[in-house]
Amino acid sequence: MIVGVRISALMMIATLAAALVLTLVPVPPAIASARPAFYTITVLFWVMNQPDRFGLLAAWLAGLMIDVIYGTPLAEHGLAMAVAAYGMIKIREWLWGLPLIQQTIFVAPVLLIYEFVLFWIDGVAGLDVNPWYRWLPVVSSTLLWPAWAYLLERIARAETRHTG
Amino acid sequence: MKLDNDNHVLTRRIAPGLAVVLIAIVSIGLMIVDDAGEKLSPVRDVLSVMAQPIEMAAEWPGQTLDTLDRYFDRGALLRENERLRQNNLLLQGRLQRLAALEAENERIRALLASASVLDQNVLIARIMSVSPDPYRQYVKLNKGSTDGVFVGQALIDAHGIMGQVTDVTPLGSRAILISDPNNGVPVEVNRTGLQTIAQGTGHAETLTLPFLPNNADVKVGDLLVSSGLGGRYPADYPVARITSVRHRPGGEFLDVGAAPAAELERGREALLVWNTPEPGPAAKNTPSPADGLSGESDEAEADRP
Repeated sequence: MIVGVRISALMMIATLAAALVLTLVPVPPAIASARPAFYTITVLFWVMNQPDRFGLLAAWLAGLMIDVIYGTPLAEHGLAMAVAAYGMIKIREWLWGLPLIQQTIFVAPVLLIYEFVLFWIDGVAGLDVNPWYRWLPVVSSTLLWPAWAYLLERIARAETRHTG
Repeated sequence: MKLDNDNHVLTRRIAPGLAVVLIAIVSIGLMIVDDAGEKLSPVRDVLSVMAQPIEMAAEWPGQTLDTLDRYFDRGALLRENERLRQNNLLLQGRLQRLAALEAENERIRALLASASVLDQNVLIARIMSVSPDPYRQYVKLNKGSTDGVFVGQALIDAHGIMGQVTDVTPLGSRAILISDPNNGVPVEVNRTGLQTIAQGTGHAETLTLPFLPNNADVKVGDLLVSSGLGGRYPADYPVARITSVRHRPGGEFLDVGAAPAAELERGREALLVWNTPEPGPAAKNTPSPADGLSGESDEAEADRP
């Protein structure tokens, strides 16, 4: 884990944009409900990996983008993202020392918090959205975490090598 | 771990616990303001312009595959052409009869001194994407305010009503589908003229009709057409066909399900309709069944605000 190495804001934005594209690419509905939340785990990865560059405010702004794209009430996903990022901030110091597979165990509850905040806001807003498959992305995102974190870490490392 | 503190982010200066509470308060405030009206639309506009390239990138693979498909498969093109030609002939034939019927209708309406139905202008829009969120049913269109699209405009396809426009940006718009749980369409049963509301369920294949009393005259197979009440949807377009009628013992209302006539999740193009004919002042004098209800049309409409 290369915590503290500063990677450029541009690189973070590029990875977030790529993750957002993966989240939006149309796929058959059966796959769509189980699609991993690429964007969410990317945000959470940078919260963990870049403690002094990617904080709560950045996570909140990243969530607002989702609200605009999905057309949900502004700041619904922003709030969920900020709360999940807060959870990540609380546990990230343990995660730094752990291998990727073990990190995954701690990331799962953070993803659960994210989905729960959305579930809760939808419930307050009176949307009847309580199918069991709502929780599928939590499972698929958790399973994806080791591979995705490895990839992002490689990207971060490659960039720091280039810039010195 | 070394932390350089020359580049402060807000959250480095205040404790994360306090920051998340502040963000939560601001977020809840934003949601309430956003829910109440259009005040935040400038913020939305700025962010959606930023999101535009990402959405286009997400659409790109599907569209490219489509184009390649068409390019390489000449046989399919020929077959499609043949089918379209036949279809066209069929429609032309029907249109001839329709022209006569329209003229007759016009004459009869003139006799009743009611407002005449104008020609309806339409614009073909391409469906850019369907909702990535499985709990909301909407589509994005490639026509926006520069093409004259406005909020509340009805969207139809070749088979029936699809939905209505809820957000407009300069280069695109978003339309909520009739299958969204937040959307209701004022309809009438074509066979009997019975008025009711078709409500979305969140599934593209089903609508429900929650307000039909037990003794209502509805049958499986009945066509529901838009009644035009509420002024959002144009009148007399097919909306759905009833697929199930269930009487719940002890219940006050029938359990009625219907399948939307429009191809909500399959089409690639849709029509935006101008001129939603509302019952004009002259229509108030006519003894049509619609008039008994026109005073209630505002409450009858269960559209999303």
